[in-house]
Amino acid sequence: MQHVVDIADMLVTNDPDAVLITHSLGSCIGVTIWDPEAHVGGMIHYMLPASSISPEKAKTQPAMFADTGIPAMFRAAYELGASKKRIVVKVAGGSMLLDDKGTFNIGKRNYVALRQIFWKNGVLIDGEDVGGSCSRTLKLKVGDGTVTVKKRDGEAQL
Amino acid sequence: MNRIQDIIGRVKEIKPLPGTVIRLIHVVNDPLSTIDQIVEAIRYDPVVTGQVLRIVNSAFFSFSREITSLNEALRILGTLKVLQIVMAIHTNSMLSKEQHGYGLPPGKLWQHSVGVALASAAIADHLRDPNRNLLFTAGLLHDIGKVILNEYVATEFAEIARRVAEEKTSFCEAEHQVLGFSHDEIGAQLGEKWQLPPAIIQGIRHHHNPNAVDPPDPLVDILHLADCICLMLGIGLGADGLDYRADEGAMARHGLRESDLETIGIQVLVELQRVSCLFEEGCLECEGEKVGAGQEK
Repeated sequence: MQHVVDIADMLVTNDPDAVLITHSLGSCIGVTIWDPEAHVGGMIHYMLPASSISPEKAKTQPAMFADTGIPAMFRAAYELGASKKRIVVKVAGGSMLLDDKGTFNIGKRNYVALRQIFWKNGVLIDGEDVGGSCSRTLKLKVGDGTVTVKKRDGEAQL
Repeated sequence: MNRIQDIIGRVKEIKPLPGTVIRLIHVVNDPLSTIDQIVEAIRYDPVVTGQVLRIVNSAFFSFSREITSLNEALRILGTLKVLQIVMAIHTNSMLSKEQHGYGLPPGKLWQHSVGVALASAAIADHLRDPNRNLLFTAGLLHDIGKVILNEYVATEFAEIARRVAEEKTSFCEAEHQVLGFSHDEIGAQLGEKWQLPPAIIQGIRHHHNPNAVDPPDPLVDILHLADCICLMLGIGLGADGLDYRADEGAMARHGLRESDLETIGIQVLVELQRVSCLFEEGCLECEGEKVGAGQEK
């Protein structure tokens, strides 16, 4: 069963038949987590780095921001029996417009926020496809943990 | 050169916007217009009148009593809201088709266009720019040229993508090099054919390159920034991705900061979810989050 994860949303499941997919990742970032023993998979599509821009929105829609959404996704996975030391993490997105001055850098800041959160919490990234200026579709098969990224030039496993 | 003539031929053939819509755009975009004049522009079109009243009386707005006249709808909702409804109805059929050349499934070009329209109006509000109605319309129509170029982009996609990847041109620069036209140029020609207000045509023509306008035009700057916000957030993002130039001058000229764009982005996403619900039969999300009576946004 395929579940679409919309922008500013996340989903965590232990259904082995579930396929999680998110489309149109621009400067936003999609993160997948997967625990091969607990058979738990999760995906988030966050749009901005820090919830300080709108603490109110962060309460109702934590998956909008890296700093509220990523911890919430990990907590939801732990509740289903996932363990931090087993979790496989993959990351895609963070594209940028063609901008020599680096003014429109939400993509880059989204990625920096993610690295900081993972560094503080001792989480390693197992695979990533970030940056550039393309649109990406990210997919996770919860059954076997396969993660693929689809871009203009085709689909590849991460 | 056959292809260039072919593309121009397509502009000539495309169905005109309904007279009611053209009248409404002109009247609403005049700051001196009264509600009576706006009503006058729509009232003789029973289809549009009926559509507006049906949406105004839908569960989405949840007014406590029935709204029975256009005059009342305009007073309660405000002109921008009514313009949004009429324009969204009429562009929905035109912009909702799949644009496979741009890798846009059905509904995505319309979603992007509504996103840019909402973002343009939101930036206008933020800057206290009085042209929010004009900007909303320009936002909705800014990518109309893609409807015409779609087939040609599909045929030449490999070459356009190659130039973007290897020569670091933007997608519309590559369109121009390969096809003889870019979607912003073709969109502006269509705007001329439809006799849209010149400010909207200028916005469509330069929305990817506000620096080309001398002296700078706030409408073009705002439209450009609104497009940048929607591209970054992936709202109706196609195979052309983020391969467009972003002009920081458009930010600097209006004293806008990155955090302003982020705040507007959040607002646009929330509004877009609501507007999209209006066009989906029996959308359950609306039931939990209805817009209160008299709220104009």
